[in-house]
Amino acid sequence: MSTVTATPRRAGHDSSNMATTTPQTTRVATSHIIQSSPHYQTTRRHSLYGTEDRVVIDPGSRIWKVGFSGEGKPRDVLTAGDNGSSLWTLNRASKPAEREEEDKMLEARLQSRLRAVFHDSLMTDPKSRKVILVEHPLMPLHIKDIVARILFDNLQVPSISFASSHLLALLAAGRITGLVLDCGHLESTVLPIFSSRPLFPQLRTTPLAGMRLSSHIRALLLLFGTYIPPLTSLSGAANIPAATRSMRVPDEVLAGPVIEEIKTRCCFVGETLDLADSGATRVTSPSGDDSFEHDLPPSSDPASMSESDFSRVSASEMDSNYAASSGFSVVSRSQVHPDGPRPGETHLQALAEMYKRHSTATDLHMHIDPPRDQQAGTGKGTLIIPGWIRERGAEVLFEGGDVDESSMAEVILDSLLKVPVDLRKTLASTILVVGGTPMLPGFIPRLQAELVRAINSSAPTSTRPPSRPGRPRPAPYDRYAPLRPLLPYFAILNNPSPPPPTSASFVTNAGKAPAFTPATMAWVGGSLAGALKTGGVEVARERWDEADAQPEDEDDAMEGTADTAPSSRNVLPDWTRTPLPVGAPPAPRPQAAPIIVTPQTEVGA
Amino acid sequence: MAPSVDYYCPCLAASPHPPPPHLPSSSDSFHPLHNLFFCEECDAVRCNRCVMVEVSGYYCPNCLFEVPSASVRAEKNRCARNCFLCPNCRNTLSVVPSDPPNDGYDRMSPIVSTSLGEPPFFLYCNHCRWDSAQVDITFEKPTGLAAQLQKFEDSAPEALEFDRLKEHFEPFLRASSSSSAVTPSSSHHHSNPITAAASSALARDIPGVSKYNPLSRSRSGRDKSSHKADIPDYKARMEVGAAAGMGAGGGEADLEFMRHLETVAEVATVEQRWVNSWVSSLHTDDLKPLRIPLQSKKSKRCPSCRHILIKPEQKAQSVRYKIKLVAANYLPAISVSLPHARAALETMKRSLNRSAAQSEDQSPAAAALLAGKTYSFHISFTNPLYDPIQVRLKKAQAMPAPGTEGAGEKAKRPPFQVNLPSAAFPIAAFAEAWEYEDDEDMFGLDDDDDLDGLGRLQKDQRSKTRTVGVVEKRANVTVVAGEVILTKESRGNVKFNMLVSYTYRSDDPDPAEENAMGTPSRHASSKPPEMKNFSFYTVVDLGTIAPREETIHDTDM
Repeated sequence: MSTVTATPRRAGHDSSNMATTTPQTTRVATSHIIQSSPHYQTTRRHSLYGTEDRVVIDPGSRIWKVGFSGEGKPRDVLTAGDNGSSLWTLNRASKPAEREEEDKMLEARLQSRLRAVFHDSLMTDPKSRKVILVEHPLMPLHIKDIVARILFDNLQVPSISFASSHLLALLAAGRITGLVLDCGHLESTVLPIFSSRPLFPQLRTTPLAGMRLSSHIRALLLLFGTYIPPLTSLSGAANIPAATRSMRVPDEVLAGPVIEEIKTRCCFVGETLDLADSGATRVTSPSGDDSFEHDLPPSSDPASMSESDFSRVSASEMDSNYAASSGFSVVSRSQVHPDGPRPGETHLQALAEMYKRHSTATDLHMHIDPPRDQQAGTGKGTLIIPGWIRERGAEVLFEGGDVDESSMAEVILDSLLKVPVDLRKTLASTILVVGGTPMLPGFIPRLQAELVRAINSSAPTSTRPPSRPGRPRPAPYDRYAPLRPLLPYFAILNNPSPPPPTSASFVTNAGKAPAFTPATMAWVGGSLAGALKTGGVEVARERWDEADAQPEDEDDAMEGTADTAPSSRNVLPDWTRTPLPVGAPPAPRPQAAPIIVTPQTEVGA
Repeated sequence: MAPSVDYYCPCLAASPHPPPPHLPSSSDSFHPLHNLFFCEECDAVRCNRCVMVEVSGYYCPNCLFEVPSASVRAEKNRCARNCFLCPNCRNTLSVVPSDPPNDGYDRMSPIVSTSLGEPPFFLYCNHCRWDSAQVDITFEKPTGLAAQLQKFEDSAPEALEFDRLKEHFEPFLRASSSSSAVTPSSSHHHSNPITAAASSALARDIPGVSKYNPLSRSRSGRDKSSHKADIPDYKARMEVGAAAGMGAGGGEADLEFMRHLETVAEVATVEQRWVNSWVSSLHTDDLKPLRIPLQSKKSKRCPSCRHILIKPEQKAQSVRYKIKLVAANYLPAISVSLPHARAALETMKRSLNRSAAQSEDQSPAAAALLAGKTYSFHISFTNPLYDPIQVRLKKAQAMPAPGTEGAGEKAKRPPFQVNLPSAAFPIAAFAEAWEYEDDEDMFGLDDDDDLDGLGRLQKDQRSKTRTVGVVEKRANVTVVAGEVILTKESRGNVKFNMLVSYTYRSDDPDPAEENAMGTPSRHASSKPPEMKNFSFYTVVDLGTIAPREETIHDTDM
């Protein structure tokens, strides 16, 4: 309604446009919503109720941030998964029955979390609070559906606004144009945004993220960490030196919460590895690595391969091998398997060798609970974390060269390659890094260095083993050649230690963002959007109920054929449901099916 | 694991029948009786997953001050008086004065004697000995600490930056909202980001070209969109690069600190840091005291009729309720036990006397359920009503779920069979007096056979395992026995859904009204009209079936 009234007024100002503008007010009313960018008059009228501060929920797969809009920090941050696991994964069971069961479990968990958010964390009445849901662009649709269903049906919130997390993070940095990397738990996603329009087709993603980092640290600790079990009795304490008690790390002590604590309290990201020493451009190709690469199908990722290998290895040698441990913190020497190194271990050993050379971090002693079957001892066991694991554990996120699992730098560059040429410079100079994993100290400066290196390295894909013995190597494929001229422009907005400007001719954006933490930026942006009375497409409860009241057979169809079937839920806006771009303005609508048509236009945001 | 009975609330499922209990998701639909509510209007069980929760009052759990809801919002749900939590151990902090300047006084009780302390007061943790002087927080007077800290919070960098961001975007939003109302007519199909970006990029980079306008026919619209792209760059109040230099956290300093870390404890846990939206120090030493979060008293309403189910008294000190419609007052309390487990324990004791070979950890194995055997179990019902009730039990058939699941369900035979007493049995009324009587007084007993049966059951378990029926009646408790026949290859938990229906006399007019409202309960046809029937589902979990081979091996030993 506001637009209808606004149009003639504006037309009055600009008389030259008046003739064209006025007759088309009806179309204006609909296309107004298409502009996902802040439109703000429609929500104004609700400020009368005194509850205009909306609830902002940033639901991650592991960590949720919740609070009220208009505040600078979230009221509460909570882990959503049970004891360190994530609430959902990107996998779904393929059988319908299993999937239904999975969804039920997820719904029950989500319901208790959401109820706890309103009743325990915020202690507010959900019926009087509109909700801004910070949504990741790749958040699975069925999860989004479940969340909306719980919010509307169980908690009866008046409306939900869906806002893209990347865009909100950019708002929190004071920008509406930029290239946003969100490095979360399940995956890292890069989304270019121009003038507050997310360019969803140019989105790039990689599974290298928090979860991969956790499993990598775990694998390294299992191989190279040292565990000292608690003394069985206090009387013998003085007699047994710690060195003889030290052993390999049992699998069970490295539970999810322990790994999480190591990751968040002990780990950081060191500087780029020195190229001259390693003799190769990439971390994945240390000298001993070639034979290993031949053993494997070329598509397999070294890191994940070694992990799975290791879990097999560890079980067999766990009991037999630690007897020979030579010392306290240098157990790693003795940990090579007696009957020849396994492929995975060779790789990890080679990695360890190189990492050790490039790390000066101190070893850490951490007290952890002993495994359950050894609980008879006194107190806690000690885990010795080698310094190089602390410093170089995160290397896994920067190891590139895999087509399916791009490194942090590569995923950014890949996205830039997809972006229209005109936007590349602008976007390259306004990179924003958000998410939980960039909270690692040193992550962002390292990413800046990696970006430069990835572009400078002549052939990023040379570590792949394509060359058969007889055939000459093909000319190296220079993937990022088109981006090389942009090199001086690359800047990360929230880089805490920005590189000194190379030349005075242009101003760099590096380090110019406000000092919000990367993890909370999306939430802060949501809060900001709420305070500005804007934020994504709003779905009111009436619309939801309306769509929900449609005949039941539609629901049955959805159960059978999963997501593809048109469900009554498509009142929820999502960019994946965007219709193909319309060239010409839509023809006047037939009166028959207004309900079907309206969601689609609205989805067009 | 002791056998247990949970009650069903149908709020999660679409159908009134409970899900098959072997599904892990079914556990979300079943609740212990003491967690459930009962709506008299709807005549239905309500659980904590479906009730509507309203806050009826806020209070501080430490000082028990009832905070008016108007100030709760401003205080960010935290106590605005003197209550603080230790940032390390979450213990409550106490206010202590500084040491007197001269050491002449006795130092016996520096704590709590806030009335006569030296002016710089600080917060002190009695558990981990943290004190707020470490982080330079001291107070001139020992009261109203939160108010004294308020000025720091108001000038928190994230709040200031947030306001600045808001001011930055507000004019832009106003402009764009007015322009977006006009431009679509003329330039909507041009204002896709790429075109706009192209034009503005051109305009910026090549000064001479800026005059050139490829979209000249939509001149006014393009001006708007280029204006949109060209909103002035936001100048942060404190840039992240600068913040790192000033030691606020992030940047090289953190890296160095992490590299030379000696103990894990130097770094604050992520839980202590993650609420901060502003870059903050990693050091444990820099953590600030936390104001204690308020608690709320909640009243709960039925989701369908909105009647209040439970409402606490307003006062923070009170633990009573004004309204309390809990299911325990309406539904019979059910507990289940396995007599063979008790018997096994006794034989175990006897055998222990004979030979000490049997170790303790085998007793649960002997008491466990073995595949291929038949067991008796006792279900005891306690009547909370002031009238006697008639209870009828029925094992719920595995409902073929809608869709594909039914087929898979039928293909797999149930691993066990359950026999329940089919006849209705009475439970005497609840009277306050029962609570004061001893267990020996068997008031409700009128059936000698059952008493005999009970005696024999206890004497000789094996001959009486087939007993299905009423075992014991006393006071408002009736115990019935059922049996479970395990097949040879059964595995997993013995869990089954049980439909409990009971008939009670409704003497007051209210229940008649309930019936008129079309509640799920129906009249039992054979009963006189004032008798009413209510039924509910439960899940009975008898425990895990022990793997057969192992237990045989055990008993052989």
